[in-house]
Amino acid sequence: MLDGALTVFRKEVLDNIRDKRTVLLGLVYPLIGPLLLGALIMFVGNMVVQPSAREKRLWMEGAEHAPALVEHLKSNGVTIEEPTEDPELLVRTGKIPLVLVVPPDYETLVAGDRTARVKMIVDPSRLGSIVAIGRTLDLVQQYNRILSKERFARLRLDPEIAEVIKVETVSVAGGRAIASIFLNMLPPFLIFTVFIGGVYLAIDTTAGERERGSLEPLLINPVPRWQLMLGKFGASLVFTAVAVAAALFAYKLMFHMVVLADVGIKVNPGVGTFVMIFVLALPIMAFAVALQVIVATITRSFKETQTYLGLLPLVPSLPGMIMVFAPVTGKLWMMAIPTLGQTVLFGALMRGDPVDPLHAAVAVLSTLTISIALLAAAAHFYEHEQVAFPA
Amino acid sequence: MIEVRNLRKAFRNIQAVEDVSFVARDGEVTGLIGPNGAGKTTTLRILYTILQPDAGSATIDGLDSIADRRAVQRRIGVLPDSRGLYSRLTAREHVRYFGRLHGLGGADLESRIVDLIAELGMEEFADRRTKGFSKGQTMKVALARCLVHKPHNVLFDEPTNGLDVASSRAMRALIRRIRDEGRCVLLSSHIMGEVQALCDRIVVMGHGRIVAEGTADELRRQTGKTDLEDVFVSFQGGRQRDPASEKEAVHA
Repeated sequence: MLDGALTVFRKEVLDNIRDKRTVLLGLVYPLIGPLLLGALIMFVGNMVVQPSAREKRLWMEGAEHAPALVEHLKSNGVTIEEPTEDPELLVRTGKIPLVLVVPPDYETLVAGDRTARVKMIVDPSRLGSIVAIGRTLDLVQQYNRILSKERFARLRLDPEIAEVIKVETVSVAGGRAIASIFLNMLPPFLIFTVFIGGVYLAIDTTAGERERGSLEPLLINPVPRWQLMLGKFGASLVFTAVAVAAALFAYKLMFHMVVLADVGIKVNPGVGTFVMIFVLALPIMAFAVALQVIVATITRSFKETQTYLGLLPLVPSLPGMIMVFAPVTGKLWMMAIPTLGQTVLFGALMRGDPVDPLHAAVAVLSTLTISIALLAAAAHFYEHEQVAFPA
Repeated sequence: MIEVRNLRKAFRNIQAVEDVSFVARDGEVTGLIGPNGAGKTTTLRILYTILQPDAGSATIDGLDSIADRRAVQRRIGVLPDSRGLYSRLTAREHVRYFGRLHGLGGADLESRIVDLIAELGMEEFADRRTKGFSKGQTMKVALARCLVHKPHNVLFDEPTNGLDVASSRAMRALIRRIRDEGRCVLLSSHIMGEVQALCDRIVVMGHGRIVAEGTADELRRQTGKTDLEDVFVSFQGGRQRDPASEKEAVHA
């Protein structure tokens, strides 16, 4: 019954496997996401989570005015350095993250039970500076508490008198606070791969075939046009699925390597997570390819098709990009929207959060239903006279 | 047998085919001749099921090109206006692809392909990818793929267009062979000499209408000219001197 579709499918797969450029691009594109994310984790991980020796340096101006403070800092493993140029300039140009400035009257004020002011020169527009602020504040306040305790002790007072509120932070993210941001980046990257993996094939087998003048002879064969369309759709779907599988494999490998590299971000979602993501991604692959076939059918030229389909992946990736910084809790209505539901589900799976089976089922069924409707529309457009001849 | 009755087809406001009727019989080569834009390709496209007529009917062996589209497609072999190949498939794979789309397969199909390759003289390049094929080689592949299912009716749109002398000759020989097997051949051309040498019956088209029909001799007698080229020109010239019908053709 589907002999025609199967024949077209086999021909398109063979034809396009022989196209070295398509195959190469199809396998290189999916690696871009994992490579970028891996580099980002290595870079940021190094900076944020495990400050190396370089990061434990502190630049101080006027260190000689506060020998006791310097001693305290050194005992915490900090190396004190003196800025060689104008401190503000050094910080502004990003050469060093922070300078602690001790005024000449520091020692006198401290000895006289007064308040000594130290300045922190920072640039919060730089991640390195933000990290240094936190660390330096901690160290200085730690020292501050020691000194005030001594003062209170001398006055025979309880130090708690001065401490009205003490804040204790309870982080529920555990050690994964930073890690989850990286995990959240996978969904938009993956959605992008879904929309780019087989796009060349979808364009080439419809708009390209029309432009090369081989569509007219093909349409004369005694095969219903919807079957011709289905065969081409199937071939594009297989190429998309291979690209997505390659991307997921690369992500798994990347996380594995990041953990081995020990940059302090311990994230390594299991194989089962990736298999689950692949299965949930299948309906959006059908959705994406059906859309591509429709666009390639109704546009007039290969170039025009390329323009539209080059922009298309940005739209479904956008919600995921926002969710990197503002993850949302999955709501049932979201699951009904193709790509949005999957973005939420992928994020939850990556973070290891529980996934409601009802949500997963709604996402799969809704996207599948919409994909079938799109396929029906594509079949309808294939029946048009204009399919064979660009207007 | 191919039968066209009162066929009409317009694209937007251009009347491409206007009330065209003719018959192409089995065992004959029928030639559609006319200048560019006369409506030959549109008529053929309606016959080979790619276009739908606005009015009238096109039947092949009594089957309607719209109502019995699939059955018609099984009975026709078409060399369409566009005859692009797949540059990454070999010549043999092209023929196999179309054979399979016609529901053929297995050893039957393979031996049919071997026969076609021999018949069309494609042995040398049968297993080469078609990228960089000459026009003659491209034409042979296009022919082989449209004849793989042994169609009873053959529709060729400008079959010798762009071919050199040797390839044109081979094409004419092939067309005669098909005719002599009792099959029906309908071809279009704008080259008078070719039509004269090849066609048993000639249908002259101009501005979407049929302006004359008959054997070469009948056409000569109608116009009193001996050279078919002059016959052709006299029909075209006649139309150009007739502004009333021209106007009608455009606004119809």
